[in-house]
Amino acid sequence: MKSMKSRWASAIPLFVLIGLCVAIAVLDPKFLSLGNIGRIAAAASAPLVLALGATFIILMGSIDLSVEGAMAFAGAVLAAFVANASGTGFDIGLAAIPIALLAAAAFGCFIGMVHVYLKVPSFMASLGMGFVGIGIATVLLGGERVGILDQNVRALALTRVLGLPLSVYVSLFMLAVAWFIQDHTRIGRHIMALGGGEDLAAASGINVRRVRLLAFTIAGMFFGVGAVLTSARLGASSALLGSGQLFTAISAVVVGGTALTGGKGGVLQTVIGVLIVIVLNNGMIILGLPSFVQQGVLGLAIILAVLLNSSGRSLAIVK
Amino acid sequence: MLDLKEITKTFGRVRALKGVSITVDVGEVVGLVGENGAGKSTLMKVLNGIHQPDSGTVEINGKTETLRGPRDAAAKGIGMVFQEQSLIANISVAENIFIGNEAQFVRFGRIDWKAMGEAAKRQLDKVGLDVDPRTITSELSFMQRQMVELAKVLTLEEAVDGNLCILLDEPTSVLEQAEIDILFGVIRKLRERAGIIFISHRLDEVIEISDTIYVMKDGAVVERMMKADATPERIHHLMVGREATGSYYKQDERRPPAEAIALSVQNVSRALQFSEISFDVHDGEVLALVGTEGAGSEPLIRSFFGLERTHLGKIVYRGEDITNTSPGRAVAAGIGYVPRERKIEGIVEEMSVQENICLPLGGRLTRFGLFDFPAIARKTAGLIAKLRIKTPDGSTLCANLSGGNQQKVVLSKWYRTDARLFLLDHPTRGLDVGAKEDVYALIREMCAAGAAVVLIADTLEEALGLAHTVIVLKDGRQTARFDNTGPTPVTPLDLIAHMV
Amino acid sequence: MKQFGKLGGLIPWIALVVLILIVGSFDTTFLKPATLIGLFADSATLFLMAIGMTAVIYIGSIDLSLQSIAAISSIVLALLIPDYGMLAIPAALLAGVLFGGLSGVVHAVLRLPSFIATLAVGGVVTTAALYLSDQRSIQIDAQPRLDTLSWAIGTMFGVPNEVWVSLVVLAVALVIEQATPFGKAMKAVGCGEAAARVAGIDVRKIKIVVFMIAGLFAALSGVVLAGRLSSGSPIIANEFLLPAIAAVVLGGTSLTGGTGGVLRTLVGTLLIAVVRTGMTFVGVNVLAQQIVFGVILVAAVALSTGRAPKGVMK
Repeated sequence: MKSMKSRWASAIPLFVLIGLCVAIAVLDPKFLSLGNIGRIAAAASAPLVLALGATFIILMGSIDLSVEGAMAFAGAVLAAFVANASGTGFDIGLAAIPIALLAAAAFGCFIGMVHVYLKVPSFMASLGMGFVGIGIATVLLGGERVGILDQNVRALALTRVLGLPLSVYVSLFMLAVAWFIQDHTRIGRHIMALGGGEDLAAASGINVRRVRLLAFTIAGMFFGVGAVLTSARLGASSALLGSGQLFTAISAVVVGGTALTGGKGGVLQTVIGVLIVIVLNNGMIILGLPSFVQQGVLGLAIILAVLLNSSGRSLAIVK
Repeated sequence: MLDLKEITKTFGRVRALKGVSITVDVGEVVGLVGENGAGKSTLMKVLNGIHQPDSGTVEINGKTETLRGPRDAAAKGIGMVFQEQSLIANISVAENIFIGNEAQFVRFGRIDWKAMGEAAKRQLDKVGLDVDPRTITSELSFMQRQMVELAKVLTLEEAVDGNLCILLDEPTSVLEQAEIDILFGVIRKLRERAGIIFISHRLDEVIEISDTIYVMKDGAVVERMMKADATPERIHHLMVGREATGSYYKQDERRPPAEAIALSVQNVSRALQFSEISFDVHDGEVLALVGTEGAGSEPLIRSFFGLERTHLGKIVYRGEDITNTSPGRAVAAGIGYVPRERKIEGIVEEMSVQENICLPLGGRLTRFGLFDFPAIARKTAGLIAKLRIKTPDGSTLCANLSGGNQQKVVLSKWYRTDARLFLLDHPTRGLDVGAKEDVYALIREMCAAGAAVVLIADTLEEALGLAHTVIVLKDGRQTARFDNTGPTPVTPLDLIAHMV
Repeated sequence: MKQFGKLGGLIPWIALVVLILIVGSFDTTFLKPATLIGLFADSATLFLMAIGMTAVIYIGSIDLSLQSIAAISSIVLALLIPDYGMLAIPAALLAGVLFGGLSGVVHAVLRLPSFIATLAVGGVVTTAALYLSDQRSIQIDAQPRLDTLSWAIGTMFGVPNEVWVSLVVLAVALVIEQATPFGKAMKAVGCGEAAARVAGIDVRKIKIVVFMIAGLFAALSGVVLAGRLSSGSPIIANEFLLPAIAAVVLGGTSLTGGTGGVLRTLVGTLLIAVVRTGMTFVGVNVLAQQIVFGVILVAAVALSTGRAPKGVMK
């Protein structure tokens, strides 16, 4: 009985997505045009990668509020190693991308260390370090918005294959990577186990600290990919590169059906969640609603999604 | 194969284990019984490597060993099936069986699910459980999970050379009879290749499955008996028995209760916890609820205070229906609850004695919404003197008081709000003898002042020493009611007969 | 900082004096009373929000929506002042109380963890602020500003009114915290929620009211900010959240709840203000200052919770 009910509950996000698409298409058939679907795919690529990173942390029962800071930091590192508008770049072309990703992973790892070794709750560690990331990016970029001139990097957003920009394929590749990590590696399964019961996992001999550190590192790497895609699209990097992305990423994960308490949901649910968020946004633009309404709608969606996801919970104290 | 010799363990001033010696051979099922706090769980933690003994030795297969943690204990052949299940609900059965030991299935960073599934199947076959190893664990029944738990421990057979010792901590507490029979079948089969320690509160089951039974009390083994000599009554008496001195419970101060009914419980039920309970408590009366662990007296007493919902029936307090009340309303009506978990629900450790005493007051002792500090200080000083709370002053943090004095602070919270009904859940748990006597005296005083008391006592002697009336619960049902003020005294054995 | 006993409460004060002396040794004008009072006046808006944050952290929760609430209250104020004058102030405060109450209900009744509840409500408030303001800043003209907001932006006895407002708020908050049943109930919810419930305290009500209070103080901060800047804007308090939390934690109010209090937040805010002034003096970019605040925040949390991890730190 219970599993029947929970199966229905986990299918709700999919129904919501389909319902949204149908509703918007009825109001304006342009929504279903190939051009618009391509736009949705392109718009979803960076948010998907970011949300995938956040998924690992939330699956563990923690939270990562550093999305914007990690992006700013990775974006600044990227700008520093390609040909850029202010002429300060140490131009090494495409090789800048792995360096930026490495920097983002190190940034995530550092948050994990603060969280694990200093015993700072993850929301606080990531909030504080996120601001640090934005600050470092400001210093690196001299407080400016620095244009990225490297055509190979910009190609991620500008070159189209089968009508879709390369960034869409990159995000699909990252989805495959995330899925593989979650379902087929020890670290992925241990992240899941931590979400299901951290003390039980520890009693079974799992090195909880190591898993947490690795999870934050993986998340940081995903945020780095998101930063590269975003700066390729904008053709620039700035400390505010990730502005607004935290809210989108967290709401996508939660709306997709991954529980904040951890252990329930996963990267495939996050795909649905991202699509819901992007379709909602796209629909609002088509219907002529101002874009700022999105935050409010997402806020309500978060509350609803968390409620739906926590039925039958115990009377534990919630702080 | 396992030989514990004179194990002692002390936590602060509490001697949890006072020289415990237990021997387990291959092919033997050893039953271990004792009340909560008798030292069983500490002993288990020593065996699991979570605690290190202060003195004494653990010998495995004749070799003295130091157990450094659960994994180390497992590597040396000691496996444990926990009371609270240790399976992680959101991952598959196979993963649970091999959690922490996945390395053997990893090829090029990828887990070989097929190999792990086949290995898991072999483990499940050992306990006769036919489920797909890929099933998510939360979809299994409780019984099936218990079996998976066993299968997980049995992976030690392949991993460890030599014999195993398997600890089963309360494996039957939530099982139906048919399921227990299956479990026992598995245990008997396991006996061929392992020694087994079986812990349970259900004495008849312990006797049924065990070859030897150790009875623990107050951190020591008080009796080792063979199956043939064991009866539930005898074991229970050993577990809880205590020589009561004449005036220990201040029986001479027990006064007959008044006519007025303070609390009337009418056919109340709560799914899976208690059903169709009815009794009346009068002013000046102490009514004790007794039963084995999990018989339902605790959720019952909590429901009077609005901490648990009841599903059927009615609770009336002095003519007022208080069924499914809230703690706030219960306090306002003059009901006081002394919880079993003193440090969690009884006091706020990080607050001072005075602050704790003031918590249930609401707006009383205030002027224009602000505390009337002189009046509060006077009242606090009065209560500290009256209840003989040993504290430097009212501003001392409760965390710095001893258990007995903390308990007096809990009692004083209700003392001053003029509570007319006291719900006491193990009020003397963990207190030393002097502090216990103080608590008994306070209970007598409350009754003399006309308050009614519902009590869950720490021991049967305590219940009989204090109560006018004793209600016996078994499996959530009321099995007997004793009037304890008649000419022939009720004995613990009379109660036990209805408990087990 | 319990391990330092009674002295622990003094450490932030000592640090404050030392910091002031250090900055003063670079620039002696900094040590003049007028400069220090001006410093306090400049951090008054931060202090007001930090007081609200203190209440929430005191019960063991967190509120990530306060800067949005300050913004919307500044907008409500700026929109209503031309037509309603003084009445705009209670309306702006009411907006804060309502949105704070919304967070409280989502957290306490729907039982969402406070950080996610307030993150979500913050999104709703931001949308409302952008809608009301039409995504731009709304000017408050000089004359109505003088008529209605002089209590917040003028001077009295030579001291800026922001300081007086802060002191009044501090006094009221201190009395509530120390001398009312509500204050003690807050403390009990913060460090012993289960025991508070058994003592008959309506934990849900306390939580909702605390979030309303936090909303009220954030709104007051928005009103004073609007007075100072002569405008209401949806991004008026955008750089406030981090310093506000940092001020509370730095003062010694622990994230686990039940310890510390508003007096601690005063010293925490002053510490933040001195650090910020020092950095501006040296010429550190405002965004780059976030590095320092972020590190301070994490370090302060680590120092205050590292000693007593309660259960699993998620």
